[in-house]
Amino acid sequence: MHDITVVDLSRWQFATTALYHFLFVPLTLGLSFLLAAMETVYVTTGKQIYRDMAQFWGKLFLINFALGVATGLTMEFEFGTNWSFYSSFVGDIFGAPLAIEGLMAFFLEATFIGMMVFGWERLKRGQHLAVTYMVALGSNLSALWILVANSFMQTPEGASFNPVTMRMELGSLSQLIFSHDAQAKFVHTSIAGYVTGAIFVAGVSAWYLLRNRHVELARRSFRMAVLFGVLSTAGVITLGDALGFVGGQAQPTKLAAMEGLWKSESAPMPFNLVAFPSQKDQANHGQVQVPYALSLLVTHSMDGTVPGFDKLEQQAVERIRGGIPAVEALQTLSSKPGDVDALAQFRAHEKDLGFGFLVQRYSQDVSKATDAEISTAARDTIPQVAPIFWSFRVMVAMGLAMLAFFVLAVIFSLRNDVVRHRWFLKIAVWMIPVPFLACEMGWLVAELGRQPWTVYELLPTWMSASTHSVGYMIFSLVGFVGLYTVFIIAEMYLMLRAIRTGPERPDDGDRDSDSLLNDSVNGGRLAGAEG
Amino acid sequence: MKTFLLFVLFMLIALVVIVLAVVLGDSGAWYFAWLVGTGMIVLVTAAGGAMLDAQDEHAAMEADAGARTRRA
Repeated sequence: MHDITVVDLSRWQFATTALYHFLFVPLTLGLSFLLAAMETVYVTTGKQIYRDMAQFWGKLFLINFALGVATGLTMEFEFGTNWSFYSSFVGDIFGAPLAIEGLMAFFLEATFIGMMVFGWERLKRGQHLAVTYMVALGSNLSALWILVANSFMQTPEGASFNPVTMRMELGSLSQLIFSHDAQAKFVHTSIAGYVTGAIFVAGVSAWYLLRNRHVELARRSFRMAVLFGVLSTAGVITLGDALGFVGGQAQPTKLAAMEGLWKSESAPMPFNLVAFPSQKDQANHGQVQVPYALSLLVTHSMDGTVPGFDKLEQQAVERIRGGIPAVEALQTLSSKPGDVDALAQFRAHEKDLGFGFLVQRYSQDVSKATDAEISTAARDTIPQVAPIFWSFRVMVAMGLAMLAFFVLAVIFSLRNDVVRHRWFLKIAVWMIPVPFLACEMGWLVAELGRQPWTVYELLPTWMSASTHSVGYMIFSLVGFVGLYTVFIIAEMYLMLRAIRTGPERPDDGDRDSDSLLNDSVNGGRLAGAEG
Repeated sequence: MKTFLLFVLFMLIALVVIVLAVVLGDSGAWYFAWLVGTGMIVLVTAAGGAMLDAQDEHAAMEADAGARTRRA
């Protein structure tokens, strides 16, 4: 029997390391394609300033990439050390995308990053540009394989359980890779990285403009970042909707938690704009609702409905009762692998196997599980609603705020008068942490919403962990938090130092803000005349 | 000859894109959308940078013309 404290500590450890790691990942995903865009202009126009831009932002990209790799490595080992039963149960499926990710990350990215950094004087312009595109593609394809693996945990497709080997086996690699959830999740996450890169470049550029430093580089970087950002933010919102639509059908308990749906309602369902969900009361307090909006948002129709926890809990009771014979059959097959009756019993109930495992937490001999134990196991299928509900809303609010920011930034930048709006430049600097926080909130929704499963409706979290001691888990958790905090401080120090130092070339040819203001006035006149 | 080779190359790219769209379309075409969308985002971003240079040159020409008019 697993010690639940160890399971909880294993979850804390993975969540902590993953959240730390994902502070670095989105910037890598987004900045790489922004570098490619800057270098594209350099190659097509031949203007030195774009090369300076690509080299300067490339330096920041490299700092971030190095620390991202360092924090990501440990997570792959955690599957083996802290989640050994999980690794044994689904390793045949989960291992394939992780292995490909390793090859992509270390062979493709590492090779081309080396060429990108050291190849400026050794490669022709076109060749170097191709290398930069390969870095961007490699970074994003690495993310693809991780997200395919994660998507399997959310919606296990393309695999089945083999009662002879007692493991999950891969049935269709294409089904695994092209599942609706994997597609929507990858594109949503990748483009969220683009938004992060855009806000970072826009914010740092605004900081330079406020201080009248590296003005030519900052103006161009700002312009390119906000165009990159406005398109990406529109994309990330669209894909967020797609992910909610796809994920909502596949994971109804997560959707119910995101929307605070304790009771099923008839169409058209209202959307809980604000609420304070109470797990104890199984109800929301102080809710503010928008009529009809939920049906439209999650089913894309006015007469669509999604089940609340009252229905889902009842379904879980039925599925636990259906899963108990499957677990019993497995226990027989583990001692008599050729037992035909047990195999037939397993086949008849295998779709509910995971629910049978749920009740094993309360009754090792599942055939003797009481109604109370079954009810308790069914109640476990409801994840912690409040953190999911609020993480989702904070993420969405941040997404909408970033869209508003980028739209305004594009207007100012296209008018060529952004330097006149110092208040906006200050906002741009303060926007830098927002996409990072939004990404973290997104992961909290995705992973907390999957509970109590490591593989949705197949493998409960309580069964998945290794049997370490509590002391070992606390020691390693504290160690990771300490080490990763040092990494974050190192990243911040190196980034800030590189930003303060600025591009290697001095402000040659940079104009001061007075001439820029004159330009912006002229630009305004021109725009007026053209209009 | 170079034009012909470019034509063949672009036709091959178009073929690959169409095949990808057909294959992926059955299971939701988000990967395909990502490929096309990322390409478009990068191109629009690059065009935005080039446009800023054009705006600067235009503004400088206007300022120059204004100065000449005042001198005259």
